[in-house]
Amino acid sequence: MKSRAVKSATADLFAAADAAARQPAPAAASPPPLEAAARPSPKHLWYAVVFPQLNEVQQSAALLRRLCMHAQQFTSLVSIEMPNALLLEIRGSVKLFGSLEMLHTGIDDVWSRLKVSAHSATAPSALAALWFARAGKRVRIEDSGLLAGGLAELPVACTSWDAERLHTLRAMGVTRVGDLLRLPRAGLARRFGRTAVLEIDIALARQDAPRRAFVPRQRFCERCDFETEIETVAYLQQALEPLMGRCAKFLRERQAGVLALELRLRHRARPATRIRLGLASVTSEHRRLADVMVQKLSRLELAAPILSMELLSGTLQPLSAGSLDAFAALGGAGGRDTVPQLVERLRARLGEAAVYGIRSIPEHRPEAAWQRIHELRLGALRPGAPGPGSAMRDRGRVIDLGRTDEGMPRPVWLLDEPVMLLAPEVQQLNQGKGILEEGPERIESGWWDGKDIARDYYIARQTGGIRRWVFQEQRSKCWYLHGVFA
Amino acid sequence: MSREASSLADILADARVWKLKDSAAASTRPVWPTGRSSLDARLPGGGWPTASLVEVLLDAAGLGEIQLFLPALVESQRRTDGEAPWLVWIAPPHEPFAPALAQQGIELGRLLVVRPNTATEALWAAEQALSSGVCAAVLLWLKGTDDRWLRRLKLAAEAGGALGVLFRPERHRFESSPATLRLLLTQGEHTPHLELLKVQGGRPGPVEYVVMSVS
Repeated sequence: MKSRAVKSATADLFAAADAAARQPAPAAASPPPLEAAARPSPKHLWYAVVFPQLNEVQQSAALLRRLCMHAQQFTSLVSIEMPNALLLEIRGSVKLFGSLEMLHTGIDDVWSRLKVSAHSATAPSALAALWFARAGKRVRIEDSGLLAGGLAELPVACTSWDAERLHTLRAMGVTRVGDLLRLPRAGLARRFGRTAVLEIDIALARQDAPRRAFVPRQRFCERCDFETEIETVAYLQQALEPLMGRCAKFLRERQAGVLALELRLRHRARPATRIRLGLASVTSEHRRLADVMVQKLSRLELAAPILSMELLSGTLQPLSAGSLDAFAALGGAGGRDTVPQLVERLRARLGEAAVYGIRSIPEHRPEAAWQRIHELRLGALRPGAPGPGSAMRDRGRVIDLGRTDEGMPRPVWLLDEPVMLLAPEVQQLNQGKGILEEGPERIESGWWDGKDIARDYYIARQTGGIRRWVFQEQRSKCWYLHGVFA
Repeated sequence: MSREASSLADILADARVWKLKDSAAASTRPVWPTGRSSLDARLPGGGWPTASLVEVLLDAAGLGEIQLFLPALVESQRRTDGEAPWLVWIAPPHEPFAPALAQQGIELGRLLVVRPNTATEALWAAEQALSSGVCAAVLLWLKGTDDRWLRRLKLAAEAGGALGVLFRPERHRFESSPATLRLLLTQGEHTPHLELLKVQGGRPGPVEYVVMSVS
């Protein structure tokens, strides 16, 4: 009885909303436009579509991906919901298509043109839209306040919960979502777990649930056979140029980039030569790809003449709006490089490991107080912004996050391994009072990982003016050189 | 000191004194302070010239060769409107110790260390970094090289607007070099000695100051 009342109430609301959409209705029926504008519109609007036929078809995943590509003409955020549904975030597209009604119908038309049966619905939360679509209700709800009322009449089965849970619910007399919403949250959580409550909150748009956009998993792959075998790298470079151009075009058309490329060279009686190109950031820019390729090829020594070549891209990745490629384009105009370009070019010729960054680590043992970083953060970093383990500036003063309390300065150069000092030098250190300038600084640490140390560090001035960082090992009383102040 | 500076200005103001083109060009490019006023006073423009090549001759690590440039390196990373520029160290003699550099105010997130296998690779890497336009300073350690490569480095530094610093052994002292500035660091009795061998638009000679006062 109660659910019927809710149903008619929502139906009235729909009618009012539709009327408002069609014509500027008299003031009594719909709120004045000013007030409507003041009401915050929900952040998202989701269009869900369910393809019932897909349940009976094999390879539904592949079909769904193809349908997804059709949906991408309406919005950039299309998410796949296995096994048979798609979710489109359409808030930003409504204006483009005039109205929600026109957009919704426009998307529906695609499915009818493709001759697939589809149930669709639009709601402020993805899950609610999906539930409506599964139940076959072609609703368009824009206001999250109307969600609960709309969902109430749906059968519980549209949640696609597992059979056991649905069976329990049925035994409790819960057949509609409205019944479910009326259950006390605590009891619901106890019986079905917190996820059930969370899911309801997500459906009612009380809780955000970000969804991953679908990016078509495609690769660039093109093969080129040579009429006559290629014997020099210079010819190979020439032959490769159009291929690289097509690869860049391929990426640009898909608004995607790659982190890696592979060039395979086939020979007559030898295994193929594989050349891997790594890029420092996702890119689709021809200049950067070609640049790295030229550097790689300059180091190539052909083992045998080449019969054919094949250029393959890594998995396509979306180019984010703040992508470094945007900077690359700017840099390209001025004929200048960007940091990723520079790093790529250096790495292509010198090897991946030859180019690295360093960071400091809050750790007492000097040898463990720093680290090489090979995965460089090449993105925008404002001057003065605290980087990982780097100095943070505070009112012009330098505060090192990774530094321990003692005031003794650290040397610019650290030796790979402490070098034991020879007898004459040790004698000097033991006698000369003026030679040990600063210290001792006791560093005792690392008992927990077996690399424990107990050292007294000093700054020692050598004749000639070189200042060195030396320490005396506490157990052996031996002296070592560990660094040089430069 | 100030008397000397004012007299120099007087001399330069005199119409009979003909100024070298280079010195005029040098004064227009931006400079970074060396952090020592006695050294600043000796350099045209009052600091390390950007978009140029500076050569430091020294035989041992630890003569304050980094202290000479650290204030400029820190300043170069700070004094910028947009993205902080990068520092590139190519083939340093030891590992640059991260805590020490952070202590001195270097933005480690913008420091690149490059370890080439050969001298030619090192020179090539320096040329790339200098001309890239994203580096404030490129420091390069070399055992030896020829004049032709130095010219290329100088051109790259001018194109990219970066400060190129080349560290070489003292034996190259008597070879000709296209560098804008040439410095010699030698061991002294108590502290290292610094001598200006060549100053484009300035006066060579020893500089009296304590090379290493901090670390």
